[in-house]
Amino acid sequence: MVDVSQHELVPEHTILEDDVLDEVLDEYDIDRTDLPKIKRNDPALPDDAEIGDVIKIVRDSRTTDQAVIYRLVVE
Amino acid sequence: MQNSTPKDIGSINFGLMEPEEYREMSATKIITADTYDDDGFPIDMGLMDPRLGVIDPGLECKTCGKHSGSCNGHFGHIELAAPVIHVGFTKLIRRLLRGTCRECSKLLLTEDERDEFRDDITESRKLGRDLNDVTKAAIRQARKKDRCPHCGEIQYDIDHEKPTTYYEVQQVLTSEFSQRIAGAMQGDEEEGIERTTPDELAEKTEIEITRVNEILSGSFRPRESQRKAIEKALDIDLTEEDTNKLMPSDIRDWFENIPDEDIEVLGIDPDRSRPEWMILTVLPVPPVTARPSITLDNGQRSEDDLTHKLVDIIRINQRFMENREAGAPQLIIEDLWELLQYHVTTFMDNEISGTPPARHRSGRPLKTLSQRLKGKEGRFRGSLSGKRVNFSARTVISPDPTLSLNEVGVPDRVASEMTQTMLVTERNVEDARRYVANGPNSHPGANYVRRPDGRRLKVTEKNCEALAGMTEDSDAEGIQTIGPGWEVNRHLIDGDIVIFNRQPSLHRMSIMAHEVVVMPYKTFRLNTVVCPPYNADFDGDEMNMHALQNEEARAEARVLMRVQEQILSPRFGENIIGAIQDHISGTYLLTHDNPRFNETQALDLLRATRIDELPEPSGIDDEDEPFWTGHDVFSELLPDDLNLHFTGTVGEDVTIEDGQLLEGTIAEDEVGEFGGEIVDTITKEYGNTRARVFINEVSTLAMRAIMHFGFSIGIDDETIPGEAQDRIDETILDANDRVEELIDAYDAGELESLPGRTIDETLEMKIMQTLSRARDNAGNIAEEHFTEDNPAVVMAESGARGSMLNLTQMAGCVGQQAVRGERINRGYEDRTLSHYEPNDLSAEAHGFVENSYTSGLTPREFFFHAMGGREGLVDTAVRTSKSGYLQRRLINALSELETQYDGTVRDTSDTIVQFEFGEDGTSPVKVGSDEEHAVDVDGIADRIVEAEFEDDAEKAAFIGPKQETTNLSEHADSRRLPDGAEVSSDD
Repeated sequence: MVDVSQHELVPEHTILEDDVLDEVLDEYDIDRTDLPKIKRNDPALPDDAEIGDVIKIVRDSRTTDQAVIYRLVVE
Repeated sequence: MQNSTPKDIGSINFGLMEPEEYREMSATKIITADTYDDDGFPIDMGLMDPRLGVIDPGLECKTCGKHSGSCNGHFGHIELAAPVIHVGFTKLIRRLLRGTCRECSKLLLTEDERDEFRDDITESRKLGRDLNDVTKAAIRQARKKDRCPHCGEIQYDIDHEKPTTYYEVQQVLTSEFSQRIAGAMQGDEEEGIERTTPDELAEKTEIEITRVNEILSGSFRPRESQRKAIEKALDIDLTEEDTNKLMPSDIRDWFENIPDEDIEVLGIDPDRSRPEWMILTVLPVPPVTARPSITLDNGQRSEDDLTHKLVDIIRINQRFMENREAGAPQLIIEDLWELLQYHVTTFMDNEISGTPPARHRSGRPLKTLSQRLKGKEGRFRGSLSGKRVNFSARTVISPDPTLSLNEVGVPDRVASEMTQTMLVTERNVEDARRYVANGPNSHPGANYVRRPDGRRLKVTEKNCEALAGMTEDSDAEGIQTIGPGWEVNRHLIDGDIVIFNRQPSLHRMSIMAHEVVVMPYKTFRLNTVVCPPYNADFDGDEMNMHALQNEEARAEARVLMRVQEQILSPRFGENIIGAIQDHISGTYLLTHDNPRFNETQALDLLRATRIDELPEPSGIDDEDEPFWTGHDVFSELLPDDLNLHFTGTVGEDVTIEDGQLLEGTIAEDEVGEFGGEIVDTITKEYGNTRARVFINEVSTLAMRAIMHFGFSIGIDDETIPGEAQDRIDETILDANDRVEELIDAYDAGELESLPGRTIDETLEMKIMQTLSRARDNAGNIAEEHFTEDNPAVVMAESGARGSMLNLTQMAGCVGQQAVRGERINRGYEDRTLSHYEPNDLSAEAHGFVENSYTSGLTPREFFFHAMGGREGLVDTAVRTSKSGYLQRRLINALSELETQYDGTVRDTSDTIVQFEFGEDGTSPVKVGSDEEHAVDVDGIADRIVEAEFEDDAEKAAFIGPKQETTNLSEHADSRRLPDGAEVSSDD
């Protein structure tokens, strides 16, 4: 099978460490449930991502070079 | 106590109401179905009881003592003779019946399962997911249980017959059990089933032989265990379905026993709602203010639909009670009960499938509670989200090129109806007096005044002079005259700001603010350059105007909504407002061949602009007269320091240096509506105000120019000499021959198919190619005979209107007509029209139009042309309705998203949708359209700094010493590598 996460068009997905996560949640003044969601079975996720983790996605952007997005892993 | 309407809603709770609560809030119990007595007074404890509120002016409410208008009305109640199901909850009732025990009413789940589902619900609630998914799963699991895990009772299926009947379906012993057993014991020789004797049966089922005989004779009904044994032994089914109707009272008893902890699992909050409240025992009666009766001209009263329905309910309710007290048979009671259920159901919703709607005497279906709320004309979409407003006007629009694009011409009769509130102070008291003195009928007048004590007076012809203090005896008449502290509702005058709108309002530029110019006649006037954003034309379009009623609104409209603030479209980040149609032809004529003008002509061209002195002449002609070129005249409108260089509409370079047009033709891509380069640059670099001035001046200059040269088009401009016509005919004849050749080759089977296509497709394609080439050739021949100054050519070249294709269709050949992208293939069997042989593949038989629009189409050509034309019309009709609905859904989905001050986009529950607006936090109208046209930020900064300081020394002192650029990163370095150096890039 093809591993989609290695495809060049799939941006980098990394699990956020707890302390960094707290900073992010603090910055936006939100609970983690206020984040956009991503399904656990999404093939782009790293294998060790679990429900409740927060994923950091770094996309290439035409206008800003890089755009950072956070998503909460749900079932 | 309730003398002011509450302004802030803290929270809203949704839940069920307890019957006791209905009784508590009720002003009176309703017992009679009659409304008014013979004298026309409402009957006590009737449907129009005066305690339910007042609708007649002058009367006092018996409950709150207020008058009509200030009394909101009060609910009453009807005590239902028997419980009745609430139609709105039929689905939930079914779910509860299926998920709980018929005996002990507990949820049919073990405690562990229940707790698991409860945790799921809490989790879902936190994540904002649909709770229905969890509750549905819980019910699904509960239904699987045959027996109650708590009391062991057998559970039966629940059948729901819409809308409000529930049955319990049980499997019981059929009445024909003895015959069936006997039949099975006979056996069947053909199928090879052996006979069974009663003894054998007794042995197999372990039932005593005497019992077996009794069963076989039908005198003893086998018990359940015995039935199962017999069924197993003989391989037969001895049961039949028995349906047992559940009366609303049974359901109510059932629900009363459901424990609170079990309800939570089904997503119901037991503190607020108990399931038994879904079965009504008390019916609230809406206040009379919600169902006012109308007195007709002949003095008869006409009641509201809701009142009619309530009358029905009370009548049946009474009959029910009487019958029950008289001890009527169960059958009659059940019939009446069903009737009561029907009336209460239709009282709430009269559009339930499976139930005939309750009708008015005239046959019209009654409009009951749910019909009042639902749909486009319902309370939500019709009265709350969209309501009719005051201070608005609508009329036909027409063009006026003398107006600025910021302005709108308002008919005087509209201006004297729409008013602006003017707070009278010492400084404007004279103005206010003048308005009031003019009265309500002459234009800058006033319609109402408000005294400092709050009294509002209508200004009339009679009292206007007295109010304004213009007559001596005003004091004697006791009329106060206006002064500071008063309010005057004066007519709209020039310079007021209003909101202007054309439907469909598809983007934000469909609603813009304009400044009023009061004008005679009856239409709204607008500058033609604002047609593109509104998508307006003047073939009968109407537009709406709204006069703003407070200072905040006026300020906001002026700063944010004025037309000049909307020149750049957020859709593509370029100007949507610019020169159109004749403006473009005008600038084209002015600049294309760079014509010369003498002083009078040049002044005439510029007379409607700010320019009142001509620049130095461009040169001196042979007769020693000074002249000005078109380029120089146009350059007068440009900002003095504008520099631009790009490839223009006609394909030649356009160069502007220091505000002088040096070369190039000014046409669509330069000053046009969708991304005209000069307009776009001026807007971004010099601001909206400069852009407004520029667009206004370009359009007036263009109109002067086009009038100077004269511009008209007629049929003679599209006719070509006979010699050219002959050549075109020849071309088409030639094409027809080649088509024939193709068809012959096809018939002979010599045609070779293109890769991936069948032979037929190949033939079609080749024919289409041949014919379209013929059309193009005909067009080219026709084009040769059109000169540069042909008006149609001017319009097509400049991009003002039409294209060369339109021109060639008029002069040369219309070409192939198509339906669904193919030659015309429909109509009769194997042919398009009965004029042709079957299977005729020729060009003519499939919609090729040889003629031009000027020469005229043959009847058959005309027919094919109409076929193609209709497809276009149908497509647009379908597209608009589809895109309209799509737009509605999109707007509903996105309407609550908002960009926050921290740059994130969030919805109303603070869930993040985008971490940075549009991923980059930039507004499309603030950036350049592409890399080539980036906004010259440094240039703007330099210009402003230049203007700020008188000499270089002062400037240097302010800015400070120049900093050497720091080497930020290697990454930045790599971009500045000299040519030829190897750069590896990964994008």
